[in-house]
Amino acid sequence: MTPTFIEQGMLLAAVLFCLGLAGLLIRRNIIFMLLSVEIMLNAAGLAFILGGARWGSADGQAMFIFILAMAAAEVSVGLALILKIFQKYKTLDTDEINRMNG
Amino acid sequence: MTIQDFRNILPLLIIAAASVLLLVLIAARRNHRLACWLAGLALAGAFATSLFPSGTMPQAVGGLLAIDGFSLFYSALLSAAGLVVVLLSYPYLQPLREQMEEYYVLILLAVLGAVILAASRHFASFFLGLELLSASLYALIGYLVKSRDRSVEAGVKYLILAAASAAFLLFGMALVYFETGVLGFSDIGVHLAQAGALSPLAIAGFGLIIVGIGFKLALVPFHMWAADVYEGAPAPVSALVATVSKGGVVALLLRFYNEAGGYQFPSLTLLFALFAAASMLGGNLLALLQDNVKRILAYSSIAHLGYLAVAFLAGGKMGAGAATFYLVAYFVTILGAFGIVAHLSSGEEEAERVSDYRALFWRRPWAAAAFTAMLLSLAGIPLTAGFMGKFYIAAAGVEGGLWALLFILVASSVIGLYYYLRIVVAMFSQAEEQKPVKLRLFSGAGLILALLVVALVWLGISPQAMMGWINQWVAG
Repeated sequence: MTPTFIEQGMLLAAVLFCLGLAGLLIRRNIIFMLLSVEIMLNAAGLAFILGGARWGSADGQAMFIFILAMAAAEVSVGLALILKIFQKYKTLDTDEINRMNG
Repeated sequence: MTIQDFRNILPLLIIAAASVLLLVLIAARRNHRLACWLAGLALAGAFATSLFPSGTMPQAVGGLLAIDGFSLFYSALLSAAGLVVVLLSYPYLQPLREQMEEYYVLILLAVLGAVILAASRHFASFFLGLELLSASLYALIGYLVKSRDRSVEAGVKYLILAAASAAFLLFGMALVYFETGVLGFSDIGVHLAQAGALSPLAIAGFGLIIVGIGFKLALVPFHMWAADVYEGAPAPVSALVATVSKGGVVALLLRFYNEAGGYQFPSLTLLFALFAAASMLGGNLLALLQDNVKRILAYSSIAHLGYLAVAFLAGGKMGAGAATFYLVAYFVTILGAFGIVAHLSSGEEEAERVSDYRALFWRRPWAAAAFTAMLLSLAGIPLTAGFMGKFYIAAAGVEGGLWALLFILVASSVIGLYYYLRIVVAMFSQAEEQKPVKLRLFSGAGLILALLVVALVWLGISPQAMMGWINQWVAG
């Protein structure tokens, strides 16, 4: 891959990361917040792959596979908790679920 | 891997094997007492094999883990904390109508993650250890689905914020990797030393990594999850979040900073100094507004991590020794404080409001005395572990010339006295109606709490023995 291509890729990763962060801050539905976090994680994964491409080593790709595995584990626990939340409150809006503050 | 490698990572293997064994056991037959025993024995085994290692030290296991005095000391400390949490959990969970056995699997996995963090010397093991710890904590915090409303809410809050912080951390690692082309801590250190100054990309990368770590340590301004999670989680799990999770990350931070040579870059040091100052002031000031003992302890632990960051910033052998001693004192104290909360909680109602502690001394004199000792140690009164911890931090800070931070440390400790003493005063105030005195002199949890009080006074009166071990293991 050419250096310009890699630089553009890093730019894309940064944009994806910011998009995910913006989604996390703006969205009020827990499922969408979880989705936004996934976008942020995948942006990090993309940056690792590009790092691997820049240095011609497989380390970046290995890290990406770790990220995939971890994201899957996180989503499975997250969805289980979200199910419980929905059974209890009949809503997924974080403003309505929020009972503790101070 | 050779046989020697397996012997070196024996503490990790014991905990991992016990968690699998426990899962198989649960499939065959559910038994709360048996699960508790197995988890306790595994953690005791990990503690013993860390203190008496059979391999030669120091030893690198692959490129990922380093087994040396530092990691073994921390692995002993973390396993011991996990053991205390397990022992406190049994009487706490017993009256609840939940499925308790998986709880112990999750505790084992959380401790395993923290021990991996303490031993890791590579971004991959750092990340895996951290995620193992976090993923078990999501489930543990939300564990009491049936009996506590706020438990699931706290679990989801922690999940979203911890996952976001993991994304920050990973993006930071990716930037550092993009810049340097290596993932091992010492390789990064070599690369940075050659480069001399940090490039903007590397600064961004380290900044994001510090955000991720700051979130895990609940340093201000990344502290917003702490109070809600401590309040919503079952009391023994709050103790686990406050000790094992933070202890593992502190160990990692010390190693990472030393090996990657973070101290030579003033921009990173300044960032940490700001977080430390904000945590000391923010934690103590926010605690003044609280009326819930678990929330007070949450803000208090934010402030304590701020104090610890001062020792960390002082750097050098003295800084690492002071940080480790402070962490030991903090572990003993905060485990004891949450232990009392768990001990006084009955079934589905936790003793968490300050008013629940009113006139406690006249009802449960021993529990009140132990809680007073813990609170005085948190406040840093002489003859307690907390005082000696602060003393060593001050010594390290003077050595490093951190006068502004030391001034904030002293000033915020004085503010902290107010809310600790408020609970103490509530406990000793006279009861309005005379309730029958109930003396429970001996119980399992009572024994643990008594041991913690003894440890606290011992560390406060003669800290030389512990400091000697720390110097020999951690800084040596």
